[in-house]
Amino acid sequence: MSADPILEIRDLSIAVGGLPYVRNLSLSVGRGRFHGLLGPNGAGKTTVLRALYRALQPQAGEILLDGQPQQGFSPAAWSRRVGALVQGGGLLSGLTPADIVEIGLTMRAMTARDRGRATEDALQLVGLADKAEQDAESLSGGELQRCYFAQLLACDPEVYVLDEPTNHLDLHYQLRLLDEVKRRGRTAIVSFHDLVIAARYCDYVHLMCDGALVAEGEPAAVLTRDVLCRYYRVDGVLEGHSLRLEGPVLDDRSAPAPLMHVAE
Amino acid sequence: MLPLSVVALFLAMAAGILWGTAEISWSERLAILMRSEDAPRGLSLIIWQWRVPRVLAVGMIGAGLTLAGVLMQTALRNPMADPYLMGLSSGASAAAVGAIIWFPASITTTLGLPLIAFLGAASAFLLTIGLSTRRGRSLDPLVVILAGVAVSLMFQALTAFFLYVGDPHATRNAMGWLMGTAAGTDWQELPLLFAVLLVSLALALFTTSKLDATLLGDERALSLGVHVGRMRVLVFLITVALTGVAVAVAGIVGFIGLILPHMGRLLVGARHRVLIPQAMVLGAVTLILVDLACRVVLAPEELPLGVLLALLAAPPFIYILRGMSRVR
Repeated sequence: MSADPILEIRDLSIAVGGLPYVRNLSLSVGRGRFHGLLGPNGAGKTTVLRALYRALQPQAGEILLDGQPQQGFSPAAWSRRVGALVQGGGLLSGLTPADIVEIGLTMRAMTARDRGRATEDALQLVGLADKAEQDAESLSGGELQRCYFAQLLACDPEVYVLDEPTNHLDLHYQLRLLDEVKRRGRTAIVSFHDLVIAARYCDYVHLMCDGALVAEGEPAAVLTRDVLCRYYRVDGVLEGHSLRLEGPVLDDRSAPAPLMHVAE
Repeated sequence: MLPLSVVALFLAMAAGILWGTAEISWSERLAILMRSEDAPRGLSLIIWQWRVPRVLAVGMIGAGLTLAGVLMQTALRNPMADPYLMGLSSGASAAAVGAIIWFPASITTTLGLPLIAFLGAASAFLLTIGLSTRRGRSLDPLVVILAGVAVSLMFQALTAFFLYVGDPHATRNAMGWLMGTAAGTDWQELPLLFAVLLVSLALALFTTSKLDATLLGDERALSLGVHVGRMRVLVFLITVALTGVAVAVAGIVGFIGLILPHMGRLLVGARHRVLIPQAMVLGAVTLILVDLACRVVLAPEELPLGVLLALLAAPPFIYILRGMSRVR
């Protein structure tokens, strides 16, 4: 548990369409720390993050921000403090990257001039300044992801909730954008599939499997050879910020049952 | 762009009022418009009791159905959504035809028919959304349209049944109105149309930043603090009210709500603060001109609005359908 938690999740259970996606999950996120949410496909990472940005209502448990329950905040007040980079598409016909960034800012009390300046700065940061007025439908997947990242950076919330932020991004922008979040010193909770990137940025990681938390701690302590074998079904070892694969990819039958172990 | 469109609106209104099948000289037209003493009474009646309320009505219906289309396309993030394709118009007309045929005239008054049409449109909307919703999944734009077409067919069959079993005189009344025509619109019908349009516009303009956020997807809108469910209920109420009152005045007017929002986006982009007024003015101009064409193309016969609209809407409809793959 973090010494100075800004965000706490207590006994969270979420079911979607009657199926349990998250079961009795508790974790806390330290102020100004970079937390990673790891796990294989279907572990429940996105579901937890969706509850954090209020896209899902938990069946049980609570989410606290500075000790205050989420329900005590209006959706607008919550979003001003907890911002998210999410998955999913939209209807972008007639919108430009500048529009997309500014839409995030119109939900906040800002003058038009400040909004314009913040939009310009954010698009500069993500390398889209020259495409600010281009048709958003003509952007590539990676450019669109940078555009949504720019929206979040322009809003600059206290807590960044990032769901697969490196999706579609080339290596340069993966590092550049996560560096920017880290540089700002904000709190972040981020779901990752790329364990090398996770190990590089995270101060602390939470490993999930089948909707439950199975391990948490510093990346080097959690991402052991045993964990990679059991949960990711690869025979490899994390050495500093690189992953060395040593054996063949393990098939489902060779994978043992999930290990219920929490490493501090 | 908006000032130019407003000028076009005034020109279209002037054309709608001054042109028609009756032979009226320019000096008489001016005299009638100026309410001059020596204006011929019969011709004055044509202009002031027939053409002016008709032009105002089709202008407001065009603007209202376009607003409904903008809101539906945004709330459902579906470029094909409009009151006609989603079955709202058919639901409203089935309810109204049933009322015209079965209910006494005292119920289908100026206020009664719009309310009945509103209930019909609401049932159709709920049915369409209900049929296209699957637990735990977001709405598929194509499934919504297919459900809308199915609901539309069902209500059209119901309308045909009402017409078949109804009293021939009442059936004739309903038939003429059903094909979409603003002929016979009188001043009494305008205040309700105006009030519904004004309230809808005010509510829509009040929520423009939330509508903008919804364009980016439900998840992003939620993460930006938009109460998406509440906004959808508001959009539902506005579109159903606009469709109900439009159908009650002029019958089924298709495609306006589908095509004009896209034209608006092409001209001024998708931000609702500018799109809504722009698209509404375009909708008004278009329907006034189409109505004028309906009056004069086969004069002295009058074409139903629906016929000409369907003809004009086909090419842009295909263009929008092909562009649906770009929703992401």
